[in-house]
Amino acid sequence: MARAAKSALVLCMDVGFSMSNSEPGQEPSFEQAKKVIQKFVQRQVFAENKDEVGLVLFGTDGTKNGLAEDGQYENITVHRRLMMPDFELLEEIESKLQPGGQQADWLDALVVCMDLLQEETMGKKFERLNIVLLTDLNVQTSADQLDVIIDSLKKARITLQFFLPFPVDGEDRADGGGDGPGPSAAPVRPGKGLSRQQTQGLEMVKNIMTSLEEEDGLEEVYTFSDALQKLSIFKRIDRRPMAWPCHLTIGSSLTIRIVGYKAVTEEKVKKSWAIVEAQSHQRDDVKRETVYCLDDDNETEVQKDDTIQGFRYGSDIVPFSKVDEDQMKYKSDGKCFSVLGFTKQELIRRHQFMGSQVVKVFAARDDEHAAVALSALIRALDSLKMAAIVRYAYDRRSNPQVGAAFPCIKEKYECLLYVQLPFMEDLRQFTFPVLENNKKFKPSESQLSAVDALIDSMMLVEKDEDGESVDVFKVNHIPNPQFQRLFQCLHHRGVNPDDPLPPVEPWLKRDLERPQAVSARCQTPLQDVKTKFPLKVVVKKKEQKTSADVFGSSADEPDAKKVKVDEETEFNLAEIAKGNITSVGSVNPVRDFCTLIRQKTVSFDQACQQLTHRIEQLLGNRSPEYYMKSIACIQAFRDQSVSSGNAELFNSYMQSLKRSVPDRNLQELWDLLIQDALTLISKDEVDGSTFSKQDANQFLAFEQKEEVQAAPVQEDTGDVDDLLDMM
Amino acid sequence: MAEWREYYQNEDDEVEEDEEDSGGYVYTSKIISSDKDLVALVFYGTEQSKNPRNSFKHVYVYHDLDSPGAKHVQDIDKLQGEKGAQLAEKTMGSGETSLGEALWCCSNLYSDIKLRLSHKRLMIFTCRDDPHVGDSAKDRQARTKAADLKETGVVIDLMHLTKPEGFDVSLFFCDIVSPPEDESELGLQTEPCRKLEDLQKRVRAKELKKRAQSRLTFSLGEGVNLAVGVYVLARTATKPPAVRLYRDTNEPVRTKTRYFHAHNGGILLPNDMKRAQVYGKKQIVMEKDEVDEIKKFDDPGLVLMGFKPMERLKLHHHIRPALFIYPEEEQISGSSCMFTTLLLKCSEKNVFALCRYIPRRNTPPRFVALVPQREELDQSQTQATPPGFRVIFLPFADDIRTVDAHVGPTASDEQVDKMKEIVHKLRFKYRSDAFENPMLQQHYRNLEALALDMLAPEPIEDLTMPKVQMMDDRLGPLVQEFKDLVYPPDYNPEGKPAAKRKPAESGGGGAEKKPKVEMSEEELKNHVEKGTLGKLTVPVLKDACRQFGIRTTGTKKQELIDALTILATRLNAN
Repeated sequence: MARAAKSALVLCMDVGFSMSNSEPGQEPSFEQAKKVIQKFVQRQVFAENKDEVGLVLFGTDGTKNGLAEDGQYENITVHRRLMMPDFELLEEIESKLQPGGQQADWLDALVVCMDLLQEETMGKKFERLNIVLLTDLNVQTSADQLDVIIDSLKKARITLQFFLPFPVDGEDRADGGGDGPGPSAAPVRPGKGLSRQQTQGLEMVKNIMTSLEEEDGLEEVYTFSDALQKLSIFKRIDRRPMAWPCHLTIGSSLTIRIVGYKAVTEEKVKKSWAIVEAQSHQRDDVKRETVYCLDDDNETEVQKDDTIQGFRYGSDIVPFSKVDEDQMKYKSDGKCFSVLGFTKQELIRRHQFMGSQVVKVFAARDDEHAAVALSALIRALDSLKMAAIVRYAYDRRSNPQVGAAFPCIKEKYECLLYVQLPFMEDLRQFTFPVLENNKKFKPSESQLSAVDALIDSMMLVEKDEDGESVDVFKVNHIPNPQFQRLFQCLHHRGVNPDDPLPPVEPWLKRDLERPQAVSARCQTPLQDVKTKFPLKVVVKKKEQKTSADVFGSSADEPDAKKVKVDEETEFNLAEIAKGNITSVGSVNPVRDFCTLIRQKTVSFDQACQQLTHRIEQLLGNRSPEYYMKSIACIQAFRDQSVSSGNAELFNSYMQSLKRSVPDRNLQELWDLLIQDALTLISKDEVDGSTFSKQDANQFLAFEQKEEVQAAPVQEDTGDVDDLLDMM
Repeated sequence: MAEWREYYQNEDDEVEEDEEDSGGYVYTSKIISSDKDLVALVFYGTEQSKNPRNSFKHVYVYHDLDSPGAKHVQDIDKLQGEKGAQLAEKTMGSGETSLGEALWCCSNLYSDIKLRLSHKRLMIFTCRDDPHVGDSAKDRQARTKAADLKETGVVIDLMHLTKPEGFDVSLFFCDIVSPPEDESELGLQTEPCRKLEDLQKRVRAKELKKRAQSRLTFSLGEGVNLAVGVYVLARTATKPPAVRLYRDTNEPVRTKTRYFHAHNGGILLPNDMKRAQVYGKKQIVMEKDEVDEIKKFDDPGLVLMGFKPMERLKLHHHIRPALFIYPEEEQISGSSCMFTTLLLKCSEKNVFALCRYIPRRNTPPRFVALVPQREELDQSQTQATPPGFRVIFLPFADDIRTVDAHVGPTASDEQVDKMKEIVHKLRFKYRSDAFENPMLQQHYRNLEALALDMLAPEPIEDLTMPKVQMMDDRLGPLVQEFKDLVYPPDYNPEGKPAAKRKPAESGGGGAEKKPKVEMSEEELKNHVEKGTLGKLTVPVLKDACRQFGIRTTGTKKQELIDALTILATRLNAN
């Protein structure tokens, strides 16, 4: 199958001294070429295909290649033999690829590459062999072997690509695959000003390329800047669609053999993030444990095997084991694509499309009878403007769907397009207040004409010279920015582990913006709209939620409360002395903790660890009563730490707690800590502390600003289950 | 913080004694549609009296306000049929009718509830249009009580039952029930009174409150911003999630997930952990925050890119169910006017608006088409489609797969015409709410059967199955005629693939199951060096992982390969 197809490719870069020359204000060719190579390899690494890449440098100070003999093929280095590209190669390019001080003949380098390709691909199967040459051609070449080289390239079916600092033809380089939305690159260096060697070299390049591929040969010659722009787009995640053979049935006796393919579906990132330990970066150091516990005070843990599943039925929960559920559940009888009937296309509204995919349905391959039968159906539907409503089931295990199959007739092929339609349960019949005939919102004539003009000025479809309309903003040509950004960041972090993340690439940002021409055109109409429509942000009367509002009048009585906690602790001590407390429980962790420290049943470290464990547990609940309990624990933790002169554990816990505040939404808790001035233990209190009094005071302070920023965001949480679904 | 309470809804049913059936329907459908609602059942015109302070005569509170459960349904079931009528006679009897007393009792039920109710509703089931038979004092009392109730925000609905000579609402009940709901000044056209037939349909579908998924700014550029609410009008309904119960007591259990250090056993806090991915044999590590930051491009909102003619919206550019937007006057005043103007103009010019859409923080953008939709009413003047823009998600380049088209011969006009006849015979009017999801319906009935101790669940009608018999009858000889036109006599469309499968099966007949091949360390290193791990199958890779004692969370092939690659590099290092 075509799936295993892979190619072998040698990057051949000129590092000779002329590459480092540049006109003032311009990036040297060397740097440009290096970037091209980096981007290229980076794409390969993230595309994770099986292609193998080699790297040959010429113009190097040293010589290292299989052909070097008797002063021939000097200053050419095979830097890396054919291998699947990895980060090592990227790192090497980043750090070790330096300009050389010599010059070497690029034709010689080409020969070395050919030799490398032939030697390394012996006995392996490659779909394509390719050499990529990056050079400024600024070197004397001996053209006498040219014909021999062209011949052997042809014989070995090796293709060539050239990347040069200047365009092949000074004038016409604008054409080519210029359907992208971005404006074409600013002109590079003009075709003039080339040295004699370069002019000569250029002729040879043309010669080689046209003799390898008669017509389109020159299209494989790129400039560095063009290439950079194209290469900065990470490779599309390429997936071969799986064939889904099935039968289309109409009634009991009309059957057509078909094959379906997913044609459009939201592509997800291939890999998920693994969790690793922060210091060791080892995945195995993190163990994840899910425990089941009863909803009582002790949070009694129970074994997973001792639990069964149930479903809510009103106020009751009906136990309904997995086994029973499987036994009683709806069973479909295998894959199917059965027509339920035909309906007018206009009755199927575009916004009712469900599911996450569009399936293209063809007749079975190489079955001309099926092709004719399906074609009859497609054409009949097309001319009647109708669609088939079908029951679709992917296989025995999947639930059936009801969907529509639309006819699709293209110049080259015909097929059905299948889309899922909603079930009654999927629809939400909400009604919304009237807009059009509402006097309050009725637009005036001038408002209508302002919007009319705005729409006209912002059309993304334009007429070109031939009167054909051209779409200037094709979403289906834009790469998914999420992947582009992810790979950019992964690459950056991979090469520079200690750097912060880079900003979004400018071209990517540009791709997501309104096209410049449209922006310019709509300026005046937009201003007009702005003056004709009064739009005012309504100032919310709702005040910012403060912790005092949440916890009642706690701000007024923190003292009282603290006393109460203390009293309770003291009061209970006598009683506890009798009982044997061995660990910090969840009912009264403060009491348990103080007892443990006092009795010295366990070490101070251990007691603290148990306590922090309880605090974490309490914070997991995120509700006011538990916050008070957590605060009491933190208070006790601090008090005991001060009295035993050990500040380290407490301070480090507080720091980690602070870091997790935004993540776990604990701003409210933090505010309480501020109120109670529960901050780090300073030097003044415990000698061993590494914090000054000022540090400790500031520790709590800055968080207040953040709260103001974070608060409004919480308001738009909306439909919680919707959010979860979409994540 | 107490939002769960605010969403509690409350419905109060008042059922006249000969109409228990309807009460039962309300219960069973309520249980599935919104299981947190509180429902009470009160009978009036009874002989016996039973109410909190027993201060009302001839009013029998059968169920106090509570979220309905299986017990309630069973109680109601007992009142049904011949036997049920006897039981009802025995427990409650039939006596004098005073609607006023009953309403008073209901208002007490409401006030006894400590919870904050967002919505109170009282449904009166009756077949008597003149309950007090001319007793004007009682009529007056009922009217006053009804007015009191309405003042406290209770909506009173009449669920009247058919009566031979017709039910005359104007006689008495027009003064009792709430006037058609007038939703704000925007002038909503609604028909709040749901008909009894609707109730009897026993809808087993979860009901959802009309609530915006999010409220966003819709920016036209140059600081022209309006506010819109985003609504979900269609979303694939799934089985409600299962609850885990403790086997011994059937009480629900909570789950807690903790991370701890594999070596020292210490609990790992969120910032003791980082995120990692492996590419090109290298593990790349990031903080959790950074992983979020990568996904951030801009603040949430809709940003207008421009407009395109409707025909540019391709049928096959579909990746997700559509959303719906409607102006939010409360956030930016003037939004409704701006929105309406856009809606009118877009629909008049037959264009859609192309926007960049970021639904919430740290979410990458998507492009969407805003398709104008003007309000449509159905025959009974209720809203069939609401006014607003539909939000259609558009695919990026990565979302479109390259499919090698199958090219085959095409049909002749004669063949197409025959198919047209077939299509013609089988046409029907598609309605989006015509099909129930058989999987869900079966699940709900199973639950019902278990909860109510029924012997077997009520059978479902699978509407997704083709009605083959009917289709064959309608088509008659057409199918054979079509087949004669397109298929040669010896062609069997169902036979071929089976024939193709056979040789494969017989060829591999000897090998039922491949014996497990153990992979040596050398082999593993070899594979990693040559990058040939990808050639192995997932089961082989899994076996290898197990054999080398690697814990794999992922089942994706790439993750298995990555895990093995890391292992090999570690082996090499040692």
